[in-house]
Amino acid sequence: MLPIHEQAPAFSLADLNGNSLQYAAGKPALLVFFETDCPTCRLTFPYLNKLAKTLAHGSANLIGVSQDSEAATREFVRQMEVAFPVVLDGELAVTRQYDPLAVPTLFLVNAAGKVALTEIAFDKAELNAIAARLCEMTGVEPVIIAEEFDGAPKSKPGCTSRHLEGEAAGAEVAAVDLYSQRGQRASRIEISDDEDPFEYCLKFDNLPVVPPTVERVERMLRATNLPPEEIIARVPPNYGEATVEKIAANAVMAGCQPEMMRVLIPLVRAVCDERFNLHGVQATTHFAAPMIIVNGPIRNELGFACGSNVLSNVARANSTLGRAFQLIITNLGGAKPGVIDMSTLGNPGKFSYCIAENEEVSDWTPLHVQHGFKPDQSAVTLFAAEPPHGVSEHYARDGKTILKAISRSLATVWSYRMCMVFEAFVLMCPEHVKTLQRDGFTKESARQFLFENTGVPIREFVGDGGEGSQLTKMYQQVTIDGEECYRKFASPEQIRIVVTGGTAGKFSAVVGSWAAGPRGSQVVTYPIE
Amino acid sequence: MPITLVNPLNETIREARNAASKLGTLSGKTIGLLDISKPGGSVFLDRLESLLRERHGVASVVRAMKPTFTKPAPEAVIGQLLAARCDAVIEALAD
Repeated sequence: MLPIHEQAPAFSLADLNGNSLQYAAGKPALLVFFETDCPTCRLTFPYLNKLAKTLAHGSANLIGVSQDSEAATREFVRQMEVAFPVVLDGELAVTRQYDPLAVPTLFLVNAAGKVALTEIAFDKAELNAIAARLCEMTGVEPVIIAEEFDGAPKSKPGCTSRHLEGEAAGAEVAAVDLYSQRGQRASRIEISDDEDPFEYCLKFDNLPVVPPTVERVERMLRATNLPPEEIIARVPPNYGEATVEKIAANAVMAGCQPEMMRVLIPLVRAVCDERFNLHGVQATTHFAAPMIIVNGPIRNELGFACGSNVLSNVARANSTLGRAFQLIITNLGGAKPGVIDMSTLGNPGKFSYCIAENEEVSDWTPLHVQHGFKPDQSAVTLFAAEPPHGVSEHYARDGKTILKAISRSLATVWSYRMCMVFEAFVLMCPEHVKTLQRDGFTKESARQFLFENTGVPIREFVGDGGEGSQLTKMYQQVTIDGEECYRKFASPEQIRIVVTGGTAGKFSAVVGSWAAGPRGSQVVTYPIE
Repeated sequence: MPITLVNPLNETIREARNAASKLGTLSGKTIGLLDISKPGGSVFLDRLESLLRERHGVASVVRAMKPTFTKPAPEAVIGQLLAARCDAVIEALAD
């Protein structure tokens, strides 16, 4: 915010008559930044009217700077009978220069153009101080504009200034309406050819986006029968409202085809499910990023890849869904990387992390069926995931040897000696699955084998007292291949297997969790209609 | 030709809150210490508590703990600190 003693920037903005109104140093000025829907602004304006009427005509510039549209501002001026000039700063260009912390903010500027006093929000004493100072500057008798017992409170907090919305954090998370399902339509941003659309859209992933024009967003909205202003969920940590229209605008930016709304709507519900604990996932310093797993007929209907390169850049559906999802949770949830999301190393999955299960390559039970859905239903699952860790096993002649190789990687999840409290996904490649099936393994029995054979030798715990050694009292001792070990996992359910990847290559992967279970993040699966 | 974009960012309005005023002194005050339940939190807060008592003469120290560091403090924990009428609360972690 522009501090006291600084030079107030000159500006020129349109007023409600379409004339350009200029502000420059020369005589004292009071600049009032406001929003039309802010209750504190409405509380403040009658006092400012009183001040305007006190001042000798032309002795000072008293200017209201509206952060809203012309129509909304005209209505505000009419309702509040505003007695001084009001200019339109819908583009927030002047707002950004003055950088008010909240609205209303008053800047009292002296004749030399230096900021003399400021007031944020509503406070009667401060309002009176500003009025007295302005009267002094213009040579009129000081007046009390805000009487102590006039029915209004002594002070009232303001609203977030428009230029800070979308990045609001911490102290501003208040007055959350968690119940209404009808939100506001998204505002419109008009830009000319020489303005960069990315300025307005690209906030957090620093890659180019498709400009979310009204036409493109409407095409996206036509693919769903939900009203644009319906709130699907409130996205932590800032609990921004994910309306259908906001989801559509972000989907456009990520390059999604309109049919992707079918997946995005349940996906946004899933990620905001309290069990998933997105608040923690977005705020942790750990690697965690939500990994999306798609199951069922939707894979073929929308073209999700579940074969070679499944974790990377092989299909538009995977890439754009993963990215749209990240744009939605960061743009609406506010977990700005480097500000709120302070992950130590981050995760490449924060660009896009979306796989599908290769259900056709084996007769193993698909993940969504394990989670209670029917095989012909489509579903989307979320897991707070580390980046994948590869397991190469080309020498094994039988299924058990493959599972032993995977168990050795599973033992390193989180960190080697940390047992019992973390989970893992095993992304099992088709060649490994083929061998396991030949040897009679089902997904369930393979998981049981992994559970029983994954351990950390007790000899690793001698001495240094590092991470994992503090919890040994809760660990379970077990003998694996003649070696005394602690079990890595508390139950087989902490391991989930997804068959995925190309049919050539004996490379599977282990994906570790963030803090798991009710005290951390739980895996959630939602049906796709 | 100008184009019109649909604002893709969060526009949910939040009420701004003013920060609480600072305490002039710690002497004679009731200070809450909220442990977010990271592994080293108690070590750090034990030390902080003794410093507050020995060097700053606080009247009392109220300790509370979140059930998990991964989630915001539940109302029961906040209620515990409110009931103790703390003049200030220090929320802390140590890994």
